[in-house]
Amino acid sequence: MNLDHTLELLRQGKHIPEETVYSLCLELQELLINEANVSYVDTPVTICGDIHGQLHDLLTLFEKSGGVEKTRYIFLGDFVDRGFYSLESFLLLLCYKLRYPDRITLIRGNHETRQITKVYGFYDEVLRKYGNCNVWRYCCEVFDYLSLGAIINNKIFCVHGGLSPDVDTLDAIRGIDRKQEVPHEGPMCDLLWSDPDDVETWSLSPRGAGFLFGKNEVDKFLHGNDIELIARAHQLVMEGYKEMFDGGLVTVWSAPNYCYRCGNIAAVLEIDDQLQRNYTIFEAVQPQDGVGNAIIPTKKPQMDYFL
Amino acid sequence: MDQVPPVTRGRQVRSLPLPHRCNNPRNPACAHCGTVIIPSPAAIMPLEDTPSISVGSWTIESRKRPILDTPALSQWESEHLPGLGALPEMIFGGNYVRIRCDLDESKHWDIEFNALDALREVPTEDSGVRVSCASDWLRSKHRRCDGAPPQIAKQYDWTYTTRYRGTVTGCPLVADTTAELPLAMLAKPDPILFFDDMVLYEDELGDNGASMYSCKVRVMPERLLLLARFFLRVDDVLLRVQDTRLYVEFAQNRVVREWKRYEADYNEVFKRHRGGVPPHRDLRALLRDSNWVVDHLPIVERTCETIQL
Repeated sequence: MNLDHTLELLRQGKHIPEETVYSLCLELQELLINEANVSYVDTPVTICGDIHGQLHDLLTLFEKSGGVEKTRYIFLGDFVDRGFYSLESFLLLLCYKLRYPDRITLIRGNHETRQITKVYGFYDEVLRKYGNCNVWRYCCEVFDYLSLGAIINNKIFCVHGGLSPDVDTLDAIRGIDRKQEVPHEGPMCDLLWSDPDDVETWSLSPRGAGFLFGKNEVDKFLHGNDIELIARAHQLVMEGYKEMFDGGLVTVWSAPNYCYRCGNIAAVLEIDDQLQRNYTIFEAVQPQDGVGNAIIPTKKPQMDYFL
Repeated sequence: MDQVPPVTRGRQVRSLPLPHRCNNPRNPACAHCGTVIIPSPAAIMPLEDTPSISVGSWTIESRKRPILDTPALSQWESEHLPGLGALPEMIFGGNYVRIRCDLDESKHWDIEFNALDALREVPTEDSGVRVSCASDWLRSKHRRCDGAPPQIAKQYDWTYTTRYRGTVTGCPLVADTTAELPLAMLAKPDPILFFDDMVLYEDELGDNGASMYSCKVRVMPERLLLLARFFLRVDDVLLRVQDTRLYVEFAQNRVVREWKRYEADYNEVFKRHRGGVPPHRDLRALLRDSNWVVDHLPIVERTCETIQL
């Protein structure tokens, strides 16, 4: 397999043969199996939020933030589902990870599971593109090996969703057996699913499953682990990022014009050697190029005789 | 400005019984006066599109904007909707469809569909609906926690179910259960002078399904139909559709508003149709399509109102 050739095809959104995906996924598993649940990452580094299959916007992200040749990246998960190019987006990140293993850290999001991808688009996309779901299976095998978090200079904790009442320390997260489908409850589930909110203490989501945590829980976690910031993704923010709890937590969102219709902007967060935070914002790729050719399919209002 | 696409021109077939005016030069051409009105769909920043059309004494206008930003969200949260524990993730708070009738110079009647008024009718108490894994989840917490299990901090209807049927200014419509929508008139292939389709709010329910309030409208030379649909899918738990149909007969100044609620247990619908789906179709995918769902759910409630202006 020629990695450069595959990368070029991916950048153009072109078809990748099933065997190529298979060997890519296999290589990735071998690489990821040796990574810790919480990877150590040095500054400077750029933290990226949800991508959701928006390949062209992912390419913009790299372009606006220095590119993988010069910059270290942490991706906070949710590479797939919703957008039209889940597979290409995920494979692009896999290829970069293989090419520059020390420059890309991939954290698992709540969409990197078999169950969720069957409902929210990735599975259907693979079926459409290959006529069978083998490629989806290979990717799901990789999902099981993704990290649960990262720690930057021992001061900034990165995770997809948020905190869990079952893990007070980073060591407790390191002790989780992560190589499995995301369970319906427990610390691994919470890290990928929980949300910050204006609550006094650990609260149950009104939906009946999932935790909400507030400033008290964040302060306790920061203090207990001697860290400054929790960087997470998981929730859409119109401005691309949102700091909460006196700057103790930030939500980073990197899918501009989410689902091709929200009109939001996207951001990445660069952490420099002094742990200063610099946000780079970017907008969605235009759906058509200069001469009117569609770059990404648009969901036009279809005029119909509805009743 | 944009060229008039020849394709649209080629569809010029019928003459108009009533005078009308099209007024947005950014949109593709109207088959009749050359300047319609299929709003541009691109949701890129900055996005704003406000097409409108007038037919006789009626004016139909719509607007599309991006989702609310954080300052607007906080304002809605604290001032407009204090009872909702959390707002839907995507609120197209600047979107609306407005249908207005100018009766004379000083008197008019209108109905508008917008997200804020729709969300005002979301109950601020517990709906009782829980996601499919809720009981397992809570049981495991009981096992694990020595103390009390975690509590729900804010009670509200997290499914964002609303009985909203539009915001009326002027005389209210009057209940008339015998009234029907004139389906035969609506089935005629009259030219569509104005069409728009928009979402007012949407939430992914923490990836446990979807809740969406959307609105579409088509204006023909003699009448219009608007469909405002609330669609709820809680995976493995519940399917619900609440449709508001608004029909206007322009020449008679007559308005009919019908509201229907459809609902069923998700798994029952799944079981009932598991065998009947063609092999190339995925039933779970069909259950994500409100048009398929509404045809396979029982009606549990219907109201109808009319007004003669």
